[in-house]
Amino acid sequence: MSDEPIKPNPQIEQAAASDESIQKVHAILLREKPEPKEGYTPMPLLLLGFITAMIFGCTLYFVHYRGGFSPLVYDERYDPSTAAATTQVEKVDPVAQGKRLFQTCAACHQATGMGVPGMYPPLVGSEWVVGSEEHLVRIMLNGLAGPLKVEGKDYNGNMPAFGPGGGYNWSDEKISYVVTYIRQEWGNKAGEITAGKVKEIREKNTRMTPWSAAELEAIK
Amino acid sequence: MASVPTLVSSLNPATTSDDVKRAELSEIDASTKWPALFLLASAVGWLLIGTLFALISSFKMHSPDFLGNYEWLTFGRVRTAHLNAVTYGWSVNASFAVAFWLMARLSRSVLRHAGLLIVAAVFWNIGVTVGIFGILAGDSTSIEWLEMPVYATPLLFLAYALVGAWAVITFRFGKSPHIYVSQWYILAALFWFPWLYSVAEIMIIFAPAGGTVQALVNWWFAHNVLGLWFTPIGLAAIYYFLPKVLGKPIHSYYLSVIGFWSLAIFYNWAGVHHLIGGPVPVWVQSAGIAASFMMIIPVIVTAINHHMTMVGSFGALKYSPTLRFIVFGAVSYTLTSLQGSSMAIRSWAEVTHFTHYTVAHAHWGMYAFFTMVMFGSIYYIMPRLLLKEWPSAKLISVHFWATAVGITLYVADLSIGGVIQGLLLNTPVLAHKFGLQQGTDPVPFLDTVKATIPYLKWRSYAGILITIGHVAFAVNFVWMVARSVQTTKTEPTLFRSPPEMEVTAQ
Repeated sequence: MSDEPIKPNPQIEQAAASDESIQKVHAILLREKPEPKEGYTPMPLLLLGFITAMIFGCTLYFVHYRGGFSPLVYDERYDPSTAAATTQVEKVDPVAQGKRLFQTCAACHQATGMGVPGMYPPLVGSEWVVGSEEHLVRIMLNGLAGPLKVEGKDYNGNMPAFGPGGGYNWSDEKISYVVTYIRQEWGNKAGEITAGKVKEIREKNTRMTPWSAAELEAIK
Repeated sequence: MASVPTLVSSLNPATTSDDVKRAELSEIDASTKWPALFLLASAVGWLLIGTLFALISSFKMHSPDFLGNYEWLTFGRVRTAHLNAVTYGWSVNASFAVAFWLMARLSRSVLRHAGLLIVAAVFWNIGVTVGIFGILAGDSTSIEWLEMPVYATPLLFLAYALVGAWAVITFRFGKSPHIYVSQWYILAALFWFPWLYSVAEIMIIFAPAGGTVQALVNWWFAHNVLGLWFTPIGLAAIYYFLPKVLGKPIHSYYLSVIGFWSLAIFYNWAGVHHLIGGPVPVWVQSAGIAASFMMIIPVIVTAINHHMTMVGSFGALKYSPTLRFIVFGAVSYTLTSLQGSSMAIRSWAEVTHFTHYTVAHAHWGMYAFFTMVMFGSIYYIMPRLLLKEWPSAKLISVHFWATAVGITLYVADLSIGGVIQGLLLNTPVLAHKFGLQQGTDPVPFLDTVKATIPYLKWRSYAGILITIGHVAFAVNFVWMVARSVQTTKTEPTLFRSPPEMEVTAQ
């Protein structure tokens, strides 16, 4: 590329020409080589081939190890087809899960499941726990308020809702785990309540306020 | 009979366009004098402080009792103080000075309102001082590369914004119709750094993102601050000083273009390779690995461009300090970048990650490449700011050999030590096969630590050598600033006198 002519700046020109001491001090500048420029040697063809090969190779690598673009896959050897064939759905133990969830319930019903006399009814041996699935799940979903008779003793407390509208808003699975747990712990020997059963009751139940004991007894 | 223009120019020395350009350059250099001098002096100060912290933490690695009774000098604090002092103190100060000195020259524009730039530089240095004081006092955020406590960082960002804006303004006032390759890199870096720093500060410190996203942002920042701030500034300096000292054009404009844009496109992705094997979605890791490999393109292209410019002029390395440091840095850039790409290979990362190998790699990049290039630049810039020559060629020679040998020893030593450490930790079977360790499988953790001690000691020896180089540099620097102007001496300070001035104009 040719050096473009630059219009001399008259001010600089004067300063540079007239002041001899400046000329002397500028020895450093005068000896330095001109400002760098670019050469225009064309790119070697081999390099173009190399760049193309790199793009091709790296794309192949990325596509091969993309892990289905899943946010849950951390292993580059993941292959969706073999994964589907070999993966077994891990069996969840509802009692173990329920035991963990019961920590919330234990605040009132106590870790022993014995409750507090006069206020929070016991779960151990309670007819409300080991009895009707329909009643127990409804209590979990909407809560229970007012007087209640358990094993002949009177209680008067408030149980919050764990279903829609409550502060907890537990899923069908969570509710099924915890009710299964209380039905099988402390010597209780009632059957498991599945998440499907909870779902079924939740769907036919449009209520959003806590139950009273009388209302529950009216169901079935 | 000479033609009229030739006759006129032979009578008046200032009529040729070259002389006008030189007069213009002297004006530009003079306008950058005080801010550049302040930044460079601060940089040298931080270099010494950072080196001291480095030595203390290096000694502690093999002699844990060393200064063990001082809370402020415990390993976790002093190593972090080292990193921040050399990164934000030395490297950023030096790169500011080099960046806007180059920017002013290449844009052919004087620096406007230099006083405000000094204010910004003062703010930056106050910020770094407060930050490092905070780290030593125990207020580190414990996020790698962002350890400075929150009361220091907004000041840094403000100071940076001022300095960055100044370089952009200088560019806007530029008279040069052509934008030289160094300017592309500086301009891009000036926009990249505030983007990286602000996003990282917000997403990690001020309004933290949850879970692994935070780790991703952390490594995105930490890797990009090297690749999108220090690397472009270093490359800008190489692209300027290599042809400048040699007096010939850069080999190929086309290679410069490919080198610049491939760096801009691919580097940003590569940081994830620090999280290989971690709980990060595998496609993100794979994208990072692919991008790390694509980084071979800008590295090879830039290496060819620099090498072909250099070919035929290797003799000049005997004379010019600037050229010697710059070429050492350019070669290191190529090697360390290729090493970096190889470290993204999954099976190799399994061995080298979380070992001293990574530390060796980081120093190869930040020291053997970036810092050496900055040394070379400073050797060229200082005589033009002060209109004085470097007082001692001998000290420059000590500086070069001590740092060059020191960092080579450092990198080789820790790389070997790191691989041994990685093999013992991860694949003891392989380590047994290589005869690295007798006995049990797996190797007890304490044995893997003991195996690294000789390498850590050699790291300290290399560090002492580098320190000697830094002291020689600092003495020469202070001596140069302090001595009176000698108008009689107009020859550059070179390692030895060249047979003809044609070869090198330092």
